[in-house]
Amino acid sequence: MIFIKKHIPLFICFFVGVLTLGSYYVPNAGSENYIEMMNKWENIVAGFAFLLGLMSLFYSHFHKITRRAPGWGYSLFVYAGFLLVVVPAIVSNGQPMKGPDMTSLGWIYRFVFTSLSGTMFAVLAFYIVSTAYRAFRIKSPQAFVLFAAAFMVILGRVPLGQMMWDGALGWTGYQVTDVIEWLMSVPVVAGRRGIMIGIAIGGIVTALKIIFGIERQYMGKD
Amino acid sequence: MKRPPIIPLILPFLFLTSISSAAKPSPLPPLTGFTAADMPGDAGGAALLRWNAVGGAAEGATMEVYASDTARPGWVKIAEFPAAERTEKDMDLPFWAWRPAPGRHALAADTSSAFGRPDEAQEIEFKLRLVKGGASVETAPVKVVIGGNWFNVSRFNNLVLMLTIIIVFFWTVSHAKRKGLFIRRIAGLDAIDEAIGRATEMGRPIYYSTGIGPMSLVPTIASTSILGEVARKVAQYDTSLKVPHFDPIVMTVCKEVVKQSYLEMERPDSYRDDINFFVSQDQFSFAASVDAMIHREKPAACFFIGHFMAESLLLAEVGATTGAIQIAGTEQESQLPFFFTSCDYTLIGEELYAAGAYLSKDPMLMSTLKVQDFGKAFVMLAVVTGSVLLAAGAVFGWEPLMRIVGQLFKAY
Repeated sequence: MIFIKKHIPLFICFFVGVLTLGSYYVPNAGSENYIEMMNKWENIVAGFAFLLGLMSLFYSHFHKITRRAPGWGYSLFVYAGFLLVVVPAIVSNGQPMKGPDMTSLGWIYRFVFTSLSGTMFAVLAFYIVSTAYRAFRIKSPQAFVLFAAAFMVILGRVPLGQMMWDGALGWTGYQVTDVIEWLMSVPVVAGRRGIMIGIAIGGIVTALKIIFGIERQYMGKD
Repeated sequence: MKRPPIIPLILPFLFLTSISSAAKPSPLPPLTGFTAADMPGDAGGAALLRWNAVGGAAEGATMEVYASDTARPGWVKIAEFPAAERTEKDMDLPFWAWRPAPGRHALAADTSSAFGRPDEAQEIEFKLRLVKGGASVETAPVKVVIGGNWFNVSRFNNLVLMLTIIIVFFWTVSHAKRKGLFIRRIAGLDAIDEAIGRATEMGRPIYYSTGIGPMSLVPTIASTSILGEVARKVAQYDTSLKVPHFDPIVMTVCKEVVKQSYLEMERPDSYRDDINFFVSQDQFSFAASVDAMIHREKPAACFFIGHFMAESLLLAEVGATTGAIQIAGTEQESQLPFFFTSCDYTLIGEELYAAGAYLSKDPMLMSTLKVQDFGKAFVMLAVVTGSVLLAAGAVFGWEPLMRIVGQLFKAY
């Protein structure tokens, strides 16, 4: 049983991992076909897994409704929303447009789904403001540096800020856009690259741990 | 009336004209030294064409490259460029794979758009035509068999680095069995106990999100490792855990991981199949749904560890408004500022990948953290050495040194 549950998955992981790693160095058609095949299989598995996800969604909300769990009324909307999209999709044969006319599916996608997604995305703007307020509170010298840099970047992006800069510091010969460009391309990039290098190295080591079977948490422990 | 004999009159005229044009010298020099070979280290469909420079005649002239598949004869123009361009020095190949000769031109002639790229090798004929004004000269056709190669020589630097990392990796793993390893404290991971303890005391659930990445992403795999450790502690304290998912495959894996953790802690009775549940595969639908659940249930702790994009702030801000203790970590450096400001603890960069080892205390896993440290030390050394060498090359005009250093650290 351990052989099936542990050794075979580890071997598959090792074999596929080494093959995929090797394909980066082998440029021929066989290597390309292998990667293409793996991508196709990933899509196929994802397709079936989506059904699994859908079942999980229905199961958990069905339980909430039958148990009258707090907020069970919201679970009804899951089924209502599902039917609201699936029925028009079947009626419209999965097509959002029929010639120049919009089908019922297209109408729902454009006027319901896209609008709701847009609303969620728009909420981000308000959250960014509240986050910025917290981030720019000057509690230490480092926080002051952060605030000054952010203030410069925010102000320099609008005409009013450019006018203020020209009035106060125009005599230096530097434009506020020059300062912003320097900030964005030197200190910001330096910081980002430091984090990116750490992430890349961590990613490589984690991948090796998985390929060589040292990290096995993802398939449950022994 | 009989017609005058025209053909006998025209023929001598045509003959004389052809003699005079043949005797007139062409304004363009002949193209010499034209060779064709299979393009080294490619996936097939390209040939390496080389020819001698034509000197001053190249000024204002155009070079046309023609190819013909011997299986389906017929010339097709595959490239056209100013004749003075595409010298061997301009080829984007590293010094260990390419030795440019002075006074020579080279071109990686890609024929895949004209003839496709079959799996087998194909025989292609090439010829060059130099055009200037109304005059032109061309080379004799050259045949070459082109196909995919077994090794991309340009990536040799990458391969050496990868093999070095693998050797260091195994060395540290074998070293770990003999000696312990010091690991600095990671505040975000130490706070996991505090977060779970708080949830237990308050009797509120814990939310854990692995983000919107698929299972093929390394941060998602790292997140499942952390989830396993979190689930062990949750099982130990018998607290409520909720793991909403964006990806059904990740959900399936996480179900196994959480189930195993409950079994290890001998609490299979506390395990429920709906700890992990699917929400939506649309980014903002997922964010809206999880936000709503957090808002309603007011969890004591939220974990956002994995691959996050724009939803990072939507989730973390709502979590912050409920007063939950929040621990986050992502490999997306563009989302880190949002987590910094909205969460109590954030795993930065490689801390995300170190978390599984840090929490499990497994000596084999912990030893691999040393590879990350060696990697960082190597990068620091390479950055300093490379900067010094490039600066020296720029100051003293050592162009070959600058080229070598640049190519050594370039990804091909």
